[in-house]
Amino acid sequence: MNFDARRYVLVTFIVIIGVIYTLKLFYMQVIDDSWKLRAQQIAEKRREITPPRAVVFDRNGNKIVSNKTYYNLMMVEADIEDLDTAKFAKLIGWTVEEVRQRFIDIREGEGYYTSPITGKTTSNYQRVRAYPFMKELTADEISHIAPHLDDYTGFFEEVSSMRNYPYNNGANILGYLSEATREEIAADKFYRPGSVIGRAGIERFYESEFRGKKGVHYIVTSALNNTVGSFEDGKYDTAAVQADPIHLGLDVLLQGYGEELMKNKKGSIVAIEPSSGEILALVSSPNYDPNLLVGNRLIKENYPKLVTDENKPLFPRPLASEYPPGSIFKLAQALIGMQEGVITKDTGFPCTKSLVGCHGHPSAQNVSQAVKMSCNPYFYYVTRRIVQQDHFKNDWEDAEWGLNRWAKYMNSFGFGVKLDTDITGLRSGRIPDAEYYDQWYGHHRWQFSTIYSIAIGQGEVTLTPLQMANLACIMANRGWFYTPHFVKSIGDKGPLPQFLNKHKTMVDPIHFPPVIEGMRAVVEEPGGTARLARTPGITICGKTGTAQNPHGKDHSIFIAFAPMDNPKIAIAVFIENAGFGGTWAAPIASLMIEKYLKGKISDPAKEERILNAQLSNFQ
Amino acid sequence: MRKSDSLAGSLDWVLLSLYALLMIFGVATIYSVAYDPEHPNLFDFSQKYGKQIMWVGVSLFLGFLVFLIDSDIYRKFALPIYFAVVGLLVVVLFMPPVNGARAWLGIGSMGIQPAEFAKIGTAILLARYLSSLNPKQQSVRSVIIANLILLVPMALILLQPDAGTFIVFTSFLFVMYREGVTYDPIVLRIANAVPGVKFKETWLGSHFIPILFVVVFLSVVTLLLSNTTIEFERFPDLKIPGIVGVLFFLFVLILIGYLIMRLIFPRRERRRALVIAIMAFLLSGTLSFLVDFSFQKLADHQKERIELVLGLKEDPDGEDYNRNRAMAAVGSGGLLGKGYRKASVSSVRTNHVPESETDFIFCPYAEEWGFAGTFVLVILYIALLLRIVTIAERQRSKFNRVYAYSVAMILFYHFAINIGMNIEFAPVIGIPLPFFSYGGSSMMSFSILMFILLKLDSQRKDVLN
Repeated sequence: MNFDARRYVLVTFIVIIGVIYTLKLFYMQVIDDSWKLRAQQIAEKRREITPPRAVVFDRNGNKIVSNKTYYNLMMVEADIEDLDTAKFAKLIGWTVEEVRQRFIDIREGEGYYTSPITGKTTSNYQRVRAYPFMKELTADEISHIAPHLDDYTGFFEEVSSMRNYPYNNGANILGYLSEATREEIAADKFYRPGSVIGRAGIERFYESEFRGKKGVHYIVTSALNNTVGSFEDGKYDTAAVQADPIHLGLDVLLQGYGEELMKNKKGSIVAIEPSSGEILALVSSPNYDPNLLVGNRLIKENYPKLVTDENKPLFPRPLASEYPPGSIFKLAQALIGMQEGVITKDTGFPCTKSLVGCHGHPSAQNVSQAVKMSCNPYFYYVTRRIVQQDHFKNDWEDAEWGLNRWAKYMNSFGFGVKLDTDITGLRSGRIPDAEYYDQWYGHHRWQFSTIYSIAIGQGEVTLTPLQMANLACIMANRGWFYTPHFVKSIGDKGPLPQFLNKHKTMVDPIHFPPVIEGMRAVVEEPGGTARLARTPGITICGKTGTAQNPHGKDHSIFIAFAPMDNPKIAIAVFIENAGFGGTWAAPIASLMIEKYLKGKISDPAKEERILNAQLSNFQ
Repeated sequence: MRKSDSLAGSLDWVLLSLYALLMIFGVATIYSVAYDPEHPNLFDFSQKYGKQIMWVGVSLFLGFLVFLIDSDIYRKFALPIYFAVVGLLVVVLFMPPVNGARAWLGIGSMGIQPAEFAKIGTAILLARYLSSLNPKQQSVRSVIIANLILLVPMALILLQPDAGTFIVFTSFLFVMYREGVTYDPIVLRIANAVPGVKFKETWLGSHFIPILFVVVFLSVVTLLLSNTTIEFERFPDLKIPGIVGVLFFLFVLILIGYLIMRLIFPRRERRRALVIAIMAFLLSGTLSFLVDFSFQKLADHQKERIELVLGLKEDPDGEDYNRNRAMAAVGSGGLLGKGYRKASVSSVRTNHVPESETDFIFCPYAEEWGFAGTFVLVILYIALLLRIVTIAERQRSKFNRVYAYSVAMILFYHFAINIGMNIEFAPVIGIPLPFFSYGGSSMMSFSILMFILLKLDSQRKDVLN
């Protein structure tokens, strides 16, 4: 028997195995991508690097918000193997019980989700996700832990940064950062457990401009989860990019000075550069040191105190407090009256105190005198002429038409509408229109005599201090304004486009000079209501206001701009329960103006008087 | 002078080159995988690459010694050599276990694995015994003796335990098959015990070994694929059941087989090739279909058992850890690989793939060189195996032929299992990739195996003189 042919059986076996193996290798290596993904899962780890947030400069290049580095000890439960809790607790300086509790707290902190369909409750916690185990460790603290982390798989350090405020001013403008909530993390992929998000102020408004671009670092990890090195020499890594610096129109020294002047007073100062709408200072008093709300540890300690403080330091008064504007409102009434043609600059009205109360002064012969003396009956007449223009036989209809027309004018001044200012928490104030009074009195059940207190900025009219300062801007610019804004430039890209949009009021510039002349007289001339605001070398145009307050002492108000020609600063000062506008608000405004324009104060006694004053009701 | 001329002239340089090439590939891969930046020197003997080069040197020296010895000595001393290695297999059982197996003789890294050398002794004795048989007079006795020659070392190796080498010993069954020593005498006895049956020869008995392997292989492949569906990313609606895949796979294989048969068969036998191909397809197809059918009929818990045994149950971080990591390493190589010394999964530094310089050395090689590299490697091994078969067939002496086939089949097994365990085609059994894996014993034993073959081949013309 010849068995030679059997060699082919063996050859066939060898060849077939060769063919099968080649095909399978081709499939695995070239066609099927799943093993490549698996290899990445096994050997590569993706680490995200969050850049420090953008720094902030004031208008003079002072760095007012910077960053300092700190470290988080992160934990991925799925990667943890054989954790020696006792040893680990000793390493991080905790008790074993605290370590165990921390794991529970992280899990519980994520909350639970109950499916509306199945009714099943599952934890939102994910074992494969990185959570901060210890937060905000200093370089010194982490240096004791980091070298030993190779022994604890599933733990790694993460560099992060915290805000630092070299000038502790402007807390209500800047806002603060705190840890992103679970909802925020779910809504935006940028955030991970432990990442921070802007919580108030411009930090919140410009969140996406502040946070920068995350970097990704791919590392090769060993079977023990140790980092072996960069993946492919960092070929796929992207660097974290810090966002461009944010430049504010704020003058931090002026802001600081304003905060100093407002000590022991409740109220606001808003200063704006009229030609650009850039906010130079925005003081909310009382306020707080922004460094109190930096990082979780301090927030946990200080936030409850601030939030329960009855003087409401967290409340941004200039943006969100709505007050009756009082006499400063008369500026707008005079302008609208002239524009509507119901008065001229030379119209006089007698100071008939029977209609509305007034203080002793001669009757105003023209608009300028009326502004200077702040004559209440004068503006009663003016406003009545605006509202009741006798276009309709019926007084009720006439008032409806006239008030709506008046309200439109007021809206064009930025009153009764929310300004587009780049901050959250703005209120719109109130300019009542026909619809508003219809709700109160019923349709055609009211006329000017019913609502006359709006003539002098009382009653239903309210403005925020920001809107008051904007009125000062409009006066300074003779009829137009840029929306007041904080950010002068994002990097070198300039402000948001809406801040380059000039808003014209419905009043023609030709009607402004007589009113401005009155404002000049308020400060500069005998018989003016704000003689305390006089400042040598600067012609200040201003208007006092004293808002009646049913709950207590009157509010002291003053708006101004200076110098009279080519104004550089427009300002509103509002002091709660301080009495007459000329007594407190006016000198404070003049000090701010002088500080800004001259850099020094010529009358230390005036300054001293303000600094020592204890006004408003403090709790 | 003349003698050395004749040696160089009679040496099979093709085989020697393939052998050298694989060793170079191996050293290069070990240098990549075990590279230590503090010891960049390839010849640093404190490192695995340095040691492997030392083993290559030792192996070449042993090869040189083999060439000095007259080839006749193996046939003459077949029995003592066999008993010597069996003796070593006994001695090793009294050694302290390393990694759970009593496989090492000697101290530390300088030890040897007698099982590696047992293959040589067994090959020689089997060659000696089979060459003494008259193929026309098959008997139960000769089948039993031939099998005993294998079973003694196999039993001892199983005691270590070393399942890998144990399985490798079944490669000798193919050698016996080639030499006509089959299980037919035993099958005949059983068959003819039935009254009225009088077979002279059974097809099953004669071809028992290849049939057994085909059946086992096909069944396993069918089971592996019968619970899966083949899906394509580009055609999401197209779902092909696994059994269709198996049948298609068989069709392609048999088509290739048929084309090869057409090439080698004489012209008048081409029709026979077609018949064989059709028969093979029908039989294997039926077998696969039956296996698939019965598997699908099984209860779930029975299915689960089978899946567990076959490693079908996904447990990538537990039972399946090694294979999963190995496949990820091989699969992530892509077409052209990640580049030399760029393996991220299977490098020793990351250590995701265990034993990546020894049993799993195919991983870093495949990861770094991609399909381009693995294709070349498979071609090299197939070329090596076919070259040895060619050499075997040109021997005038039956002893030489049996020995050559033994070498071919041992290397074939090592190649098929070692690479197969990286691609899901073989169980994870720790056996080295010949000439490639790091390790002194395997390098030396494979080299001796190879050099004895080269020596026998170079003297083939003297045999009948």
